[in-house]
Amino acid sequence: MMTPLEIKGALAAIVTSVVILVATFTAGGIYRDHYGREMEAGNKPLAAEDLAAKGRSFFLQSCAQCHGRDADGGEEAPSLLKLQISGAHITLVIQSGIKGEMPTFSKKYNAQDTAAIVAYLKTLH
Amino acid sequence: MIPWDKLHGAMTHFPIALLLFSTACDFVSFTFKKLPFARGLRLVSFYGLAVAALASLGAVVSGIALTKGDLWGRGDLGWHHRFVWPAFGLLVGLAVWRLVVRDAMSRTGLCLYLILMLVASGFVAAAGYFGGEILLSGGGVP
Repeated sequence: MMTPLEIKGALAAIVTSVVILVATFTAGGIYRDHYGREMEAGNKPLAAEDLAAKGRSFFLQSCAQCHGRDADGGEEAPSLLKLQISGAHITLVIQSGIKGEMPTFSKKYNAQDTAAIVAYLKTLH
Repeated sequence: MIPWDKLHGAMTHFPIALLLFSTACDFVSFTFKKLPFARGLRLVSFYGLAVAALASLGAVVSGIALTKGDLWGRGDLGWHHRFVWPAFGLLVGLAVWRLVVRDAMSRTGLCLYLILMLVASGFVAAAGYFGGEILLSGGGVP
């Protein structure tokens, strides 16, 4: 049997875990909404088509060489048509690269440029 | 601009390593509880767990900043998160429980604690594996 101190500790542990997870998810949700609004505000002058067009020009400049002009894959890089990952995840891959396979583009493209590439890739669904 | 990818990569290794080390210390001290170093190992595992729980806060904050608040995602990122959240909750909970109980554990309490430490270690190891996959394989990019 567990002692009263252990039961008290277990209750404290459960309460702390729940509070910290709820706080984390709340903060994450607020950040996601804030980031989304910021991106929307930053992109206001550009319509969705213009953003995708800008993204396509970046794509042709930096990605098409390996992924193909139509993003349908090359000899050494996969097709980017019908990507099953989130925009945030695509952003992460563009910015961080893939060790030994794909270079990082964080120095070449800022957050808005990357968003334009992501917007273009989303049109390929 | 803060390099969240590099910060997250650096910060995640502390809770992973410390939790696994703390679990190992607990099991060794439990197995050899009559030997003189068992008490010392329990102390090491306690501080290791406490620092792991504190370090996990930094890892989680940098991870949220890195994914722009995407707390689930798909592919390897989705799997990474499916293991990270239970691991984070368990790690914090176990550290709090240990902080309250210290060495005054009953046999049942100790067994339950060791089982949960193993489960938390498994979750952390799996989360670390899928975190590595995101970097090495592009995280499910077809």
